[in-house]
Amino acid sequence: MNTQANHNASISEPAARRSWQERLEPYLAIIGPLAMIAMILAFMGVMEPARYFRLSNLNIILLEAAMYMPMAMAMTFVITQRGIDLSIGSVAALTGIIMAFAIKQYGFPAWMAVGMAVMIGGTFGLINGLIITKFKVPDLIGTLAMDLVYRGFALVLAKGLVLARFPDLITDIGRGRIEGFLPIPVLIGLVTFIIGAILLRKTWFGRYSIAIGSSPESAEMTGISVDRYKVYAYVLMGAMAGLAGVMLTGKLNAIQATSAPYFNLHVIAAVVVGGTSLFGGRAYMLGSLAGVLLLSLMINALVTLRIEFFWQSVASGVVIILSVGLYTWLQKKDRDGSKGILASLSTPDNKKLFKLAAVLGMGIISFIVLGFMFANTTTGSG
Amino acid sequence: MNAVSALENPPQAVIEMRGIHKHFGGVTALEDVDLEAYAGQVLAIVGDNGAGKSTLIKILTGVHQPSSGSITLDGQAMVLDNHSDAISLGIDAVYQTLALADHLDPAANMFLGSELTRRIFGIPFLDNKRMRQEAERVLDERLGVKLRSMSVAAESLSGGQRQAVAIARAVYHSDLRVLVMDEPTAALGPQETARTLKLIKVLREEGLAIILISHSLDDVFAVADRVQVMRRGRRVGVVNTAESSTKAVLGMIVGAEATADAS
Repeated sequence: MNTQANHNASISEPAARRSWQERLEPYLAIIGPLAMIAMILAFMGVMEPARYFRLSNLNIILLEAAMYMPMAMAMTFVITQRGIDLSIGSVAALTGIIMAFAIKQYGFPAWMAVGMAVMIGGTFGLINGLIITKFKVPDLIGTLAMDLVYRGFALVLAKGLVLARFPDLITDIGRGRIEGFLPIPVLIGLVTFIIGAILLRKTWFGRYSIAIGSSPESAEMTGISVDRYKVYAYVLMGAMAGLAGVMLTGKLNAIQATSAPYFNLHVIAAVVVGGTSLFGGRAYMLGSLAGVLLLSLMINALVTLRIEFFWQSVASGVVIILSVGLYTWLQKKDRDGSKGILASLSTPDNKKLFKLAAVLGMGIISFIVLGFMFANTTTGSG
Repeated sequence: MNAVSALENPPQAVIEMRGIHKHFGGVTALEDVDLEAYAGQVLAIVGDNGAGKSTLIKILTGVHQPSSGSITLDGQAMVLDNHSDAISLGIDAVYQTLALADHLDPAANMFLGSELTRRIFGIPFLDNKRMRQEAERVLDERLGVKLRSMSVAAESLSGGQRQAVAIARAVYHSDLRVLVMDEPTAALGPQETARTLKLIKVLREEGLAIILISHSLDDVFAVADRVQVMRRGRRVGVVNTAESSTKAVLGMIVGAEATADAS
C-alpha cells in the first residue's frame, strides 16, 4: 500500500546554503596535513634545499615513516572507536626482543619468528582489549599500565643486552629495497594502509568502528557487539605494533628493551593530525598516512637544520595540541563570527583566567629577581 | 474497576496483550494491563511519568519479559525472549534517541547491524552501493522522503530526516507488522513535528499497527485513532479520539475522571 507515499515528498529540507566550511569538511583531513607538508617543504626549500631534497635523504624520510605506517593504520580504528592505546611502544620492543631470542638463542627460522612476533603482538592487543572491555578499566589507564608491564617484561628478558645481527629476512623487512622501486618497509606500510582502507570502507569491522565511536549507546541498541569490535581493534593494534617491532629490529639490525620509547605519542599524533577525531566517529585512513609522512618530514627537517634531537619531543607535542585544537575549532557548529577574537576572549571567566596567569607570571618574575639579589656564588652540579 | 469504554473495533487485533503483570523485585510496574493494536490504526499510549508506558512497550518488544500474562500476534500466542525475537516476528521500535550513528550516512545507518554484503573470493564485503540504492528506494517509496544527499553524515540531517532514517530502518523489514514509536516528537520543533506526524499517517495507510507513546496530547489527537491511558501501572481507559477530547484524556491521566467513574 504505497499509494500515500507520493503525497508528501516534502520532508527534504529547502536547500540550505552550504557554508564554505561545510563544503570543505570532507576534504579537511587531507588539506590539513598536505598544507603543513607544503609548508615544511617550502621552508626547507629556502633553508636547506641541497641537503633536505637529496634522494638519500628522501629515502631516510620514507624509511622512518614506513615503520609507523602499520601502527597508524591500526590506531585509526582504535581512536575512531573513542579508544586509545598507549602501550604500542612497549609491545613493539617486547615482540622484537622475543623474536630476537627465538632466532638467536633457539635458532628459529627467521620467517617463523616474524610470524610469531606479529601473533604475539596481536595477543598483547587481545590482553589490552580484554582489560578494557571485561575489567572495565578505562583505556587510558589500562594501556598506560600495560605499557609498564610490557616494558618491564622486555627489561627482564633482555637485561640491558643489545641483541644484534639478524638474518637477511629481518633486515630486508626493516631496510631492504627492491632496486629501482621502493624500500620494502615502505611497501609493507603502504600495503597495510590499503588493507586498512578496505577494512574501514568495506567490512563490518570498519563500519561498526565508526558506529561505536559515533555513539556507543546507539551501536549497542542496533545489536552491534560493541565490546567484541573494540577487542578486534586492539588485537589489530597489537599485531601492527608487533610488525613494527620486527621492522624496527630489521631497520637497526639490533633491538634492546628500551627501544621504541615514544611510538605511542608519535602514532597518535600522526593519526590525529590526519583528521581522525579523538572524540570518535571520524576516521580518515588517507589522513593518517599523510600524518605519518608529515611527522617524518618534520623530524627529518629538525635533524637537517641541526636542531638538537631533544626538540623533536617539543615539536611532536606542539603538533598534537595544534591539530586537535584546530580540528575542534573547525568542527564547532555554533561559532559566532560576528565579534572579533578580542571580544570573545574578554568574557568574565577569561578575565579571571588572565588574572591568574598574571599572578603566576608576576610570582615567577619576583622570585627570579629576588633569586639574583640573594644569589651566592654558584656551585657546579657535578 | 477500570473505566474501559466499549469500542467498535475491527474484528481481529494484530496484537493482544492480556493480563500483563510485571514486577521488578518488590516493585509492581504493571498490574493486569491489556492492550489491543489493530492494523491500519494508531494506538497512542499516554500517562504520567512512571505510569508503566515504557515497561509495557518493552514487554511488547521483547526487551523485558512479563511476570505473567499473555501476548498474541494475529491470535497466535507468542513468547518473546529478547528484542530480536520481536523483530523477527515483525514487531520493531523506534526509540526516542533514534539510535543513529551521527558520523555514518543515512544508508549506513539504515542498515546498521544488518548490512547487505557481497562476497568477493568468498569473503563478505559490505555492499555500500546496493545499501544506498535500497535506502533511497525505501525512503522514497515507503515514507515519501527524498534526502538532498545520501552521502552526508546523519548529524547534518534535520530532526525530521533523522526520524525518517530511523523509521526506514524499522520498516525495511517487509514483514513488519507493528511499529512502536517512543516519544517521536519530543525533541522536535513544530515543523519537524508536523512532518513526523505525516510520516506516521503514511505508515498507518500502509496497514501497519502503530503504537505511539507521547506526552503531547496535541500530537496524540492529531494522529491517533485510539488512546490508551495508563496510570500507576494500570490501564485506566481506552478512548476513541473521535469521541473524546484532550481535556477528558487529561482528566484520566491525572485520575480525576477515574475517581468520578469509580464512584
